[in-house]
Amino acid sequence: MNTTILRLSAQALLGRRRGVVLVLIPAVLVVLAVVVSILTDDEIGYESVANLGFTLALPLVALLAATAVLGPEVDDGSIVYLLSKPVSRHVIARSKYAVAWAATMVLGALPLLVVGLVLDASEPRQALAWGLGAAVAGTAYTALFLGLAAVTRHAVVIGLLFVLIWEGVLGTAFAGVRWAAIGGWGREVAGEISPLVPVVGTGLTYAVVAAAFVSVGSLWFTGDRLRSFTLRGDE
Amino acid sequence: MADPSVATPEGRSVIHDLGYRPYTGPRLGSGPIARALVGTGFRNTFGLGRSGRSKVLPFLLLGLNLLPAFIVGGVMVLVGLDELPIAFAEYASTTQVLLGIFVASQAPVLFSRDLRHGTISLYLARPLRSDTYALARWSSLLGATLLFLVLPVLVLYTVALLGEMDVSDQTADAAVAIGLAALLALSLTGVAGLIASWSTRRGFAVAATIALLLIGNGIVTAIQEIAREEGQPQVGEVAGLFSPYSLYRGLMASWTDVETATPPTSTAMEVTYLVVFLALSAACLGGLVWRYRRVATA
Repeated sequence: MNTTILRLSAQALLGRRRGVVLVLIPAVLVVLAVVVSILTDDEIGYESVANLGFTLALPLVALLAATAVLGPEVDDGSIVYLLSKPVSRHVIARSKYAVAWAATMVLGALPLLVVGLVLDASEPRQALAWGLGAAVAGTAYTALFLGLAAVTRHAVVIGLLFVLIWEGVLGTAFAGVRWAAIGGWGREVAGEISPLVPVVGTGLTYAVVAAAFVSVGSLWFTGDRLRSFTLRGDE
Repeated sequence: MADPSVATPEGRSVIHDLGYRPYTGPRLGSGPIARALVGTGFRNTFGLGRSGRSKVLPFLLLGLNLLPAFIVGGVMVLVGLDELPIAFAEYASTTQVLLGIFVASQAPVLFSRDLRHGTISLYLARPLRSDTYALARWSSLLGATLLFLVLPVLVLYTVALLGEMDVSDQTADAAVAIGLAALLALSLTGVAGLIASWSTRRGFAVAATIALLLIGNGIVTAIQEIAREEGQPQVGEVAGLFSPYSLYRGLMASWTDVETATPPTSTAMEVTYLVVFLALSAACLGGLVWRYRRVATA
């Protein structure tokens, strides 16, 4: 870890409009949960709100955070100034990941816990399950998207395609996608913690190992890509 | 010795006049410039006239968007159905994620790059007003979005005609679907263009547009489902006014036979849906024009 890179990445993440959008996504989710819990008596809205947060808000926050710490620098070429410093590229990758991961935890996973508590305060275990499942999925999402940002300028679009098409559309059409879907692994973890969350059926061990593998692998890959980085012109 | 700061008198600028022939052809006004800009913008949206790598994404998305239509066609041929398994208008609703990603990812191509690299001042140095520039860019994106929406409908329509279904029925359904597609394209183009013109970072513009469109749609869908289960469809009807996709679904439910969660039930509500749809598009276009006016005067 390098404190200067941590500080600069945090500035890039929270500075200006990007920070506003990053904070708005969980804020809207929590407001929706509050409104639903006030207007409906029982847990009708729990499933849909938690699903919305887990399948849409969490990956979007992770995507925004991961691409924010690396994307703009690669885009305008100023990353060469960072790469020319005598700091290991893997340290750069880890420092940037740490910032993006912290943002995903606070703005992606924590809101799910809050939403769970708001919608059904009598079941704190269920809320905790959603929160922890989101933490596991968020860890892997952030690493994967950071790796994407190091490879291509289209990291945001490819990340969106992965989340919305692969995990979303194809995930509902083909059951086998659950073996290669980060969101599915997070749900599996959540389902193991609380019986109220439906499990996906990959097994807890597989889900945790797969999430850890993707996280560590993507993080190493990011460092490796930065090690042999070629700056390309705008298309 | 002459004062070098004094402007050269007319006709005596001999040192820099190297004898090159000046351009003597016709100089076109802002109309032809705008037309050329719309044409190039439309091509650029699909990566035509740009590098090979920038063609990959739009054509990949277009291909993915057309794939289900061709699969439906293939299934029709193999199984021999006598009606389409998916309605023309329903198609855009089914592939709304692809549509959103396409519009969000291609809007920055038209709106962000000129602002980010400062090339906007070169455009505005021509006899082209900032309003015209904004309108031209908007038309390019609108055309591309419409193509993206209408192509699968045309594929399905062809399949239906080749399957010898009732021509007048199919034509009427396809016409309604294309009308709805135009409304959806108008609003999505406005929203994506406005966000892209405010953000000069491409990745950020894409993510912000998607966040707005899909989370907005997700929230509306959640509210509509809850409202239906709670037995209060009016709440869902009103909620449907807050996202382009739900506006599309609402009008689709009232203009075609497709069923949705909480469709608008009264004529007044249908008119409200239509008005909100058009007002959203107009407001975004207005914002776009205003944004470029500010850029031009800054």
